[in-house]
Amino acid sequence: MGPLIPNGVIPFEWDNIIAILIGIAFGFVLEASGFSSSRKLAGVFYGYDFAVLKVFFTAALVAVIGVYYMDYLGFLDVNQLYVHPTYLWGAIIGGIIMGVGFVAGGFCPGTSLCAVAIGKIDAIVYVGGIMVGIFIFSELYPLFQPIYEGYFYGNVTLEDSLGINPYWFVFIFSIIAIVAFVISDMVQKRVKKIFY
Amino acid sequence: MVKKKIAKVLAFRYKILAAILILLAGGLVLLPKYQKHEGIKPEELLSNTISPERYMTTDRLAHILINQDPSFILIDVRDEKSFASYSLPNAINIPLEKLFDEGSDSYLNQNQFDVVLFSNDNFYADQAWILCNRLGYKHMRVLKGGVNEWYATIINPLKPADNMPVTDFELYATRKAASMFFGVVYPEQVKVEAPVIVKEAPKKVITIEKKKKAEAEGGC
Repeated sequence: MGPLIPNGVIPFEWDNIIAILIGIAFGFVLEASGFSSSRKLAGVFYGYDFAVLKVFFTAALVAVIGVYYMDYLGFLDVNQLYVHPTYLWGAIIGGIIMGVGFVAGGFCPGTSLCAVAIGKIDAIVYVGGIMVGIFIFSELYPLFQPIYEGYFYGNVTLEDSLGINPYWFVFIFSIIAIVAFVISDMVQKRVKKIFY
Repeated sequence: MVKKKIAKVLAFRYKILAAILILLAGGLVLLPKYQKHEGIKPEELLSNTISPERYMTTDRLAHILINQDPSFILIDVRDEKSFASYSLPNAINIPLEKLFDEGSDSYLNQNQFDVVLFSNDNFYADQAWILCNRLGYKHMRVLKGGVNEWYATIINPLKPADNMPVTDFELYATRKAASMFFGVVYPEQVKVEAPVIVKEAPKKVITIEKKKKAEAEGGC
């Protein structure tokens, strides 16, 4: 049956509308859980607030368990899902740049737009920085092109590259997540409380 | 009292949530695995199979070939030997046992072309059709009667008897024209007209008798 759009249950013309609706819901939840505060987001790097880690780890966990149960019950075909292509060095370098930006600015691209929506000045400056970065990248694209398009490994998943059973992977992943939550709680207790 | 109880439970809420997650993930590992059904549902396959739409007549195929319709792929599912000895024009040979070998997938599993499968009869072509259809391949057809029917109708059409309806004669004329397209030569086509021998009249020797010159007669 699923995924709904590739199998024609929902006509593909709807996918932009659905994307907008999901985007609005995502933005609302981000703002409602306080993710438009750069202090809360940066807390994960300084050890006084691990909400970001917990939220995104839990989201991934719930999604992956749900997807595999739906696949098992025949509501969804895992093999039909979109797998993002891997450009190894592009991903590594991009990840480092994004990480530095995250620590320095206190936002990730999604939450920065959330914060702009509620009128935070630091977020407006941050989004301006994103635009400058996009401009520089576009202007120097011929220089970056070999990295951007090179080291292509195809649409691989951990199941393909490690040869691991996906069900065992989900189980191990959930244990890692719970352990990470416990450790982050312990760290949070030791670090001096910061009021923000 | 109730509030206190709820508060007592809620104090452990994160532990309960963590336990639920681990239980669910562990359930995935422990669930009995089963071979997943690939391709379309059995009911759908059955309804496709009994639909007469999956067949293509030889007349229709001849029409397509003569008009050089580019939207069709002909696939010969017989073995290489039969393919080498005779096949339909522009057909591709994918023997039934090599149907799912690497490379044949691009001909069978695609959306651009209509695929027409054929064998000597439609027996093997039907088998190939079922296999492909079950995997959800689209636009698959079977040539009704296969190469034998092709021979019997297009290459060597049967001349209708005199008491048959006019549509049969029209069909015969079309099939005959199609067979000529595919290289069949008919006796009336090659009949060289016998040269008309013009009978020449026997030469008559006409002897012209020269008139004897009148001898000069004397006169005065």
